[in-house]
Amino acid sequence: MSSSTLTPPGGAPAGQQAHTAKERGRVLPFPITGQEIVLIVVIVALWVALALATPAFLTEGSIVPLFVAMAPVALIGIGMTVIIITGGIDVSVAGIVMVCAVVVAKAMVDSGASLPVAVALSVVIGGLLGLVNGVLIAYGRVHAIIITFGTANLFKFLGLQLFGGTTVDNIPGTLAFFGRGEAGRTLGVPHSFLVMLLIAAAAWYYLRHTPGGRHLYAIGGDADAARLAGVKVQRRVMSAYVLTGLLTGLAACFVIARGTSTLAPNVGAGMELAAIAAVVIGGTSIMGGRGSVLGTVLGALLVQTVTSGVTQLGWRSQLSSLFIGIFILIAVGADLLRQRARRTT
Amino acid sequence: MSETRTTEPAPSPPPDPGAERLSVTGVSKRYGAVRAIRNADMTVRAGSVHALVGENGAGKSTLIKILSGAATADTGRITFEGRPVNISSTADAIALGIATVYQEPQLFPDLTVAENVFTGREITRRGRVDWAAQNARVVELLELIGLPARYATVPVSELSIAEQQQVSIAKALVGNAKVLILDEPSAILTDAEIEVLFGVVRRLASTGVAIIYISHRLDELFVIADEVTVMRDGQTLGTWPIEELSVRRVVELMVGGILEDTPPEHTVPDAPPRLVLEGLSCEGEYSDVDVAVRPGEIVTLYGLIGSGAAEIAETVYGMRRATSGRILLDGKPIAPHSPRAAKRLGIALLPANRKLQGLFSFQSIAFNISAGHLPMLSKLGTWMDRRRERQVARDFIARLSVKTPHERQPVSAMSGGNAQKVVLARQLVERPKVLVLAEPTQGVDVGAKEEIHRIVRSLAEEGTAVLIVTSDLPEAIRISDRLQVVRAGTTTVEFGPGASQADVLAAAAGAVDQEEAA
Repeated sequence: MSSSTLTPPGGAPAGQQAHTAKERGRVLPFPITGQEIVLIVVIVALWVALALATPAFLTEGSIVPLFVAMAPVALIGIGMTVIIITGGIDVSVAGIVMVCAVVVAKAMVDSGASLPVAVALSVVIGGLLGLVNGVLIAYGRVHAIIITFGTANLFKFLGLQLFGGTTVDNIPGTLAFFGRGEAGRTLGVPHSFLVMLLIAAAAWYYLRHTPGGRHLYAIGGDADAARLAGVKVQRRVMSAYVLTGLLTGLAACFVIARGTSTLAPNVGAGMELAAIAAVVIGGTSIMGGRGSVLGTVLGALLVQTVTSGVTQLGWRSQLSSLFIGIFILIAVGADLLRQRARRTT
Repeated sequence: MSETRTTEPAPSPPPDPGAERLSVTGVSKRYGAVRAIRNADMTVRAGSVHALVGENGAGKSTLIKILSGAATADTGRITFEGRPVNISSTADAIALGIATVYQEPQLFPDLTVAENVFTGREITRRGRVDWAAQNARVVELLELIGLPARYATVPVSELSIAEQQQVSIAKALVGNAKVLILDEPSAILTDAEIEVLFGVVRRLASTGVAIIYISHRLDELFVIADEVTVMRDGQTLGTWPIEELSVRRVVELMVGGILEDTPPEHTVPDAPPRLVLEGLSCEGEYSDVDVAVRPGEIVTLYGLIGSGAAEIAETVYGMRRATSGRILLDGKPIAPHSPRAAKRLGIALLPANRKLQGLFSFQSIAFNISAGHLPMLSKLGTWMDRRRERQVARDFIARLSVKTPHERQPVSAMSGGNAQKVVLARQLVERPKVLVLAEPTQGVDVGAKEEIHRIVRSLAEEGTAVLIVTSDLPEAIRISDRLQVVRAGTTTVEFGPGASQADVLAAAAGAVDQEEAA
């Protein structure tokens, strides 16, 4: 007992191995929340309705673009989920998409960068921009919305400078691996969607089962208490923004891949709002401390289903804004009711 | 902790009972111009419960922060088990085995009890949290602190405040603490819960843990403490074995003077009652309550927690509607339906929980005093008269002897008793006709308690009718002109000044386990 009496991390004493699987039981809240179940039901209902309304909906020509379109939003949404769980937010991701996309597009056009180089370049730039956000937020102690609002404008300026007032044309098909064409699919499933799912699964595991992931929830619940419990709050918060930057960099490649051979300066516009919408609809509390990646992926799928559905039904496109707005308000309302119910018990 | 499947190394038997565990010498800390503590000395022994007492602002919190790593000392030495140590972060303190339970539960509402206990020190297996192992350990801890085992997987937000406090202790214990710091653990607990707490504290002490116990309930010290260190004005006055002290002696050391025992004589002017509650009932809370308060009179409703006394106060202040009966103000029936309406009628409230109600903690003292009285302090009801606001605040700071460098200081930087005085000050800006105080000195130290009582008394002398709701018996007896006992939701016996504690308690019934007050 002369040395530290803390339980050594990573090394559980042998006595614990005796626990049977049965004893292990359910030790966390059920892995799927009520809101997520509701989302699944709503999505299934929408798909059934759309399939009945337009026979073209459940065909390859419609579903593949839907998955390809939602992949980058969901990918950014995964990072955004992590950030919002800590009680923060990042409204600069559209700017990050723009900077990454223009740099990568120019690299492919000017120097013929290969697929791995393009992806690596994009991810590194995204990570660096995320680091800028993270350092300012974690160590500057100013609320994330103000910091990222500022950096959003800086990133946009940077992106526009790189575009130089024109578009990037004749982009080669280097990134077709992530596109909606034949080269972008395996067994009919788009690669971008698959990669997003893999990352979502990893993020789900990280958030739910590792100390680092649980610390993010603790920070969102009460940052001071987390600090007093020995959580490295600043480092964790910073890493959430870096992670989002990295994922946004990858998402930028997906965006280029799903587009045409021309990249216009409006690339990425509105993606921060789409990602936040997916997170909020997915049931992550905007107050921090609660949320899941599964919800976010479902949220992104719902948003994309609505957008695609409205287009396919031939309705006016502004209707999708109406529906998404309603979904967000319902989700926020549900969150509010939960908080209130908790306070009165 | 004796079970074979414990996940921790078995606690060593108290090696040398009374051995020096943690010691601070000549520790000083300043915040800007304020010298929070100077030259503090304290030695805590293994297996001993060491009480740390002092008025609010005496430096206890700062000393605790230094020991728990939340702040670092400017000068001085800390030795742990004889070795000099450097505690520069909470992680350092935890690594040494110094665990702290803060006054406010430091928990994460959306995480389970087990997760809360292990945050920052998760048991992992191959990089992933070993939920089974954590749960097994938490179940042991829950048993130790007297909570049901099934709580392990319940989100903390579903527990009561008292249960959350107990979870905080479990959280501190999980690292096999060698020193456990309890910062006013009893402030928010009921008597029965305090008994459980004491049981836990004694058991821990008997296994060799050194316990630093901070409390404002001085009579508790004589039940639980072995040694007492007294602080005043940032300095440690010394450490005494409990046998050499009495409550009176401790208070004298804390305030630095001889305590005046008899409350000043106070005669109530003969006048028609200002506030009358007549057969007031609120379904499910209280019924048939009759109370009359004359101008200049202090009437106390004494009732244990759950007696309905608090709800009666809330009704007067418009936070709760009565279902039958009447409230008369100066003979006219009133029915305030909101605090705003009550305030307009001239009824002021000092809320019970100052942390939750009534304070804007990040705003300045001046802001907090003037909030709610903006019309009075504004010109033509539009822009604020900033000079007047500051002047009023300064006036009150002097009058209430609030310890603060200036009126622009945020309330969050003040100690509990001083914060309570600010809440009081706010209600006094417009001399209310009626002042309702709910547990006015809960969690407040003796010195500040005296001052609050003095202020209340001087207000009564200026003609305010004062209604106090309290579960603090000595306070009820000390301050009231008349004391009414509330039991099972209704007013029962009435006492005049100088009633004996025993009589009042007997009337309140159910207070069978009252500790022998030293």
